[in-house]
Formats: sequence, structure tokens, C-alpha cells
Amino acid sequence: MALDIEAIRNDFPILDRVLPNGKKLVYFDNAATSQKPQVVIDAMTRYYEEYNSNAHRANHTLADEATTALEDARSKISRYFGTSPENMIYTSGATEAINLVAYGWARYNLHQDDVVVVTEMEHHADIVPWQELNKEKGVEVRYVPINSRTFTLDMEAFEVALEDAKLVCVVHTSNVLGIRNPIEEIIEKSHQAGARVLLDCAQGAPHERIFFDNMGADFVAISAHKMAGPTGIGCILVKPDAMAEMGPFMTGGSMIRRVSTEGTTFQEGHAMFETGTPRIAEAIGWGAAVEWLSQFDMREVHAHIHDIAAWTADQMLEIPGIRIFGDPSHPDSSGAVSFLHDSIQSQDLAILLDEGGFAVRTGHHCAQPLMDALGVPSTNRASFWIYNTLDEAQSFVEHLKYVCERFA
Amino acid sequence: MSERQWPEHLDPVVEEFEDCFDSMERYELLFEYAKKHPTPLPPEEWNESNQVHGCQSRAHVVCSIDESGKFLMRGGADAQIVQGLMCVTAMAVNGMPPEKVSEMEPNYADAMGIRNSLTPSRANGFLNMFERVRSEAERML
Repeated sequence: MALDIEAIRNDFPILDRVLPNGKKLVYFDNAATSQKPQVVIDAMTRYYEEYNSNAHRANHTLADEATTALEDARSKISRYFGTSPENMIYTSGATEAINLVAYGWARYNLHQDDVVVVTEMEHHADIVPWQELNKEKGVEVRYVPINSRTFTLDMEAFEVALEDAKLVCVVHTSNVLGIRNPIEEIIEKSHQAGARVLLDCAQGAPHERIFFDNMGADFVAISAHKMAGPTGIGCILVKPDAMAEMGPFMTGGSMIRRVSTEGTTFQEGHAMFETGTPRIAEAIGWGAAVEWLSQFDMREVHAHIHDIAAWTADQMLEIPGIRIFGDPSHPDSSGAVSFLHDSIQSQDLAILLDEGGFAVRTGHHCAQPLMDALGVPSTNRASFWIYNTLDEAQSFVEHLKYVCERFA
Repeated sequence: MSERQWPEHLDPVVEEFEDCFDSMERYELLFEYAKKHPTPLPPEEWNESNQVHGCQSRAHVVCSIDESGKFLMRGGADAQIVQGLMCVTAMAVNGMPPEKVSEMEPNYADAMGIRNSLTPSRANGFLNMFERVRSEAERML
């Protein structure tokens, strides 16, 4: 059944927003964060209006309701990602999820000269923790380059980098290029080499269903806010044998079994890693978001987004001076279209697009090693999602043409 | 025109922007100002120490005092909008005593109709540049 985009748009009140300059919002910054459907907003509001309380701490009615809602959300979210609640640790987002692997797994299991493989395509969140671990423990960080012609990972270099690797950290889908990496091959070859695999699925999860138990990765980092959920929450999915190798990262309340002046014993499983008051409203909101997403076939969602991205990129290439980084025409590519104009600087271009009501991202996208590999300091990026339309893309291309003709 | 917190000699510039037909014309005018910076800092003088951090674009500012004790700002940016605002800022502050520069507010950009110029974003090139100029002026007191 084809997606009813008008009905989907009606679920997002913000899409009717008129900007202060009188222009109707056209939101093409979805790779930074998606908009939220009314059901998510309502679920979070209902929590604060009706049963706001701390979870896992008390026996009164509100505390019971909050605890039940928090754990119901964990069940919904883990089921959506094809795994069981025990394999899911709530984090503040994908960044904290990756840091949890760095400090809760790697710090306990990696030693001087052990090898961590990352790629040039990674977000800073999947580079800096490993650089810090290099400083702290002397682990070697190897970078897999990209092919700057095809914008894909150099898989020959990847195989060379795998030698003696203990951990492979790869982005599922690039936030800049929209390229989906061959994660199945990466997981298989990494495991053959004896390395555990961490996938950064912050961009992948909004575009395809992640079935954790089937995909084989040891760790999967996910952000809620890029897939209709609220900001401030995400998770790391962890295989049971990998979780058994983990130790405490952040310490404090909730994650302990017993604290005395002699020392502390810790909870087991995901509870060891969820210290402090949980993000209750955010978890409830994310639960509502995955329920909302569950009504769609994500292959149809991806096809819809891909069609808009591919058409837009094709039209943009007709505009003199525009070049595109990535391959939006590839069937696996996400909805991210990174581009530059050869004489209008990216920040200027973003401001001039904003004047037309078009929200696009500008900058290095927290991926400076990738920018270095591409030989540019920044790009503009239009990124599409489930509620965007071809009409919006057409008006975007028209406005971009107008800006380029007037300001180039 | 909003209540002035900029030197009087900047009024004709602010008025020129206020008279623009629409925002696109204003940005076009700002692109023109970017080309007539009175005291530009050429890219060969851009370095880490004079870089304005936190900008999405590259921006560099060097401030000094001439023999008569007057403030002089030189600047350059790769984004034309920041460069244009830098030009207007140089027209405002050059020749002023440093204490007057340190007391200036950036709301002339708002009065010029440059939307979002005062948004407190870490990525706001104009505000970061203005704060750099103001802190350099304070340092000279």
C-alpha cells in the first residue's frame, strides 16, 4: 500500500509553521533531527500532566505508573529493533551510546597496542572516544579511507586494517554522504578477524528497520530524535556476551546493588549502565514514536525518501556551479544530499535558502576527517524524510536556482 | 529605526539597509559591502591566533590602536554575509576610542534587517566576530 503522505504530514503540527518572514517552512534538515508527530508530543505531555514521578524508586501509584511506562517503552523500542529488553541500555543518544562502548567495554577489554578500526566517514562521536582511548590506554586507531570518486569505503584498505583488530567501529549510513556502508560484509569480515563490531545507526535507523538479533553486530548505537522521537534519549543495543564483558561507566544512584563505606557492588545487565534518574518522559515519547513508525513498511518509507533525494540531486546538478558529494541515485542511499556552490559560500547559501523558508544544514557536520578527505571545509546538506514531498523539492530547486543566479 | 546603540556616523549605512525592498535586496547590498571593506585582512594573514572560533565560516579579526589612540579593526571572512557585516563593523569602530568600542552593542545588524544576526548560536559568525572585537577593545583599556 502506497504511503499517504498528506495523512502523514497531518500528524506533524510543525509542518504548518509559517516563518517570521512569512514563508512556509520547508524542513530539509532531517538528518540533524526529525520533526515529532502529535502522538509523541501527547505521550510526553500526558506523562507530565498525569503521572510524573521518579521510576524504580518508590511504591506509590504515580511511581508505579512511571516505572511501568518506562519499562513498557523499553519493550516497545527493543521489539522494534528486533531484540529483547535485556539487550538495550538507555543513553542520552548515539554519542553517549558510543562513549558507553568506549568506556564501559573497550576500557575494560582493550590494552596497549590493541587495534580499533574506524573509518574516515565517521561522525566525531565515533572518532574522538577512540582517540581519547589511544591517549589513555595506548590502543592503536586505524582509519579506513574513502574512495573520493565513488564516496564509498575503500574495502581493500578495510581488510588490511582488520589485521589484529579487536574492535571495528563503522557508521551504518553516512550523515554527510547518505552512503549506506556494506555493513553485512563488514560484520562478517570483522568477526572472521576476531573483532567485535560497533555500528553507529543514528542515520540508518530512520531509513531502514534495524533487526539487532539478526544483523550480527555486537553493539548498535541509536538516537531517538532522528526517527520521530524526542531529543535527549537513545540507546546502545548490546549482545549478551558483549554486555557480560562490560563494566561501569558512569556511577551513582540506581546502578548499584549495595553501597557501604567499604565499597560498592553493582547491578547486573543494563541496570549497571543506567545511573541517575532515567529520562522517563523521553523514553515514553520514543516508545510512542516507534509505535507510530511501526504502522509503515520502512522499505516503502525508504523508497519515498530516496525518490525525492535522487530527483532533487539530479535537478541540482543542472544548476551551474553546484556539485554533489555522495551518490543519491544509488538505491541504498539515504535522504541526505550534500552539496556546494563553487562561488557562494555554504553559510551564505544556507541563509539565502532560509530566506525562502528552506531549512538545510551547513557546516562540517561533525565529520571533519571526511571533510578533509573530500577537500572541503563544509557542505550544505538537504536531508529528506517521510513527510517531505516532491512539491517541496521542486520549490527548493527553484529557489536554489534563483539564489544562484542572483548571488553567484 | 530602533533605538541607536551604535555610533552616529553609521546611521546612513543602517538607513540604506532599512530602505531595501526585501530581504534578498538587503543581502545583495550586504554582498556589495563585503567587497568594500575599508580595512580588510587578506587571507595570507589569516592564522589560528586571529581566527574567530565557533563560526560555520572562516573569520579572522586583528585589532590594534593607532598612534593617536584610535581603534582599528581589520578583518576577513570567506562568507560574504559575515564579511559584509565585518565591513559595516569596521566602518563603525575604526577611529573610535577603545572604551567606546567596548561599550557598543551589536544591534545595528538587527536594525539593518539582517535576520537572525543576534541569535545566540555558537555558529553565529557575526556575533562571534563582534564579541571578539569588543573583547579586544576591552583588553586595550
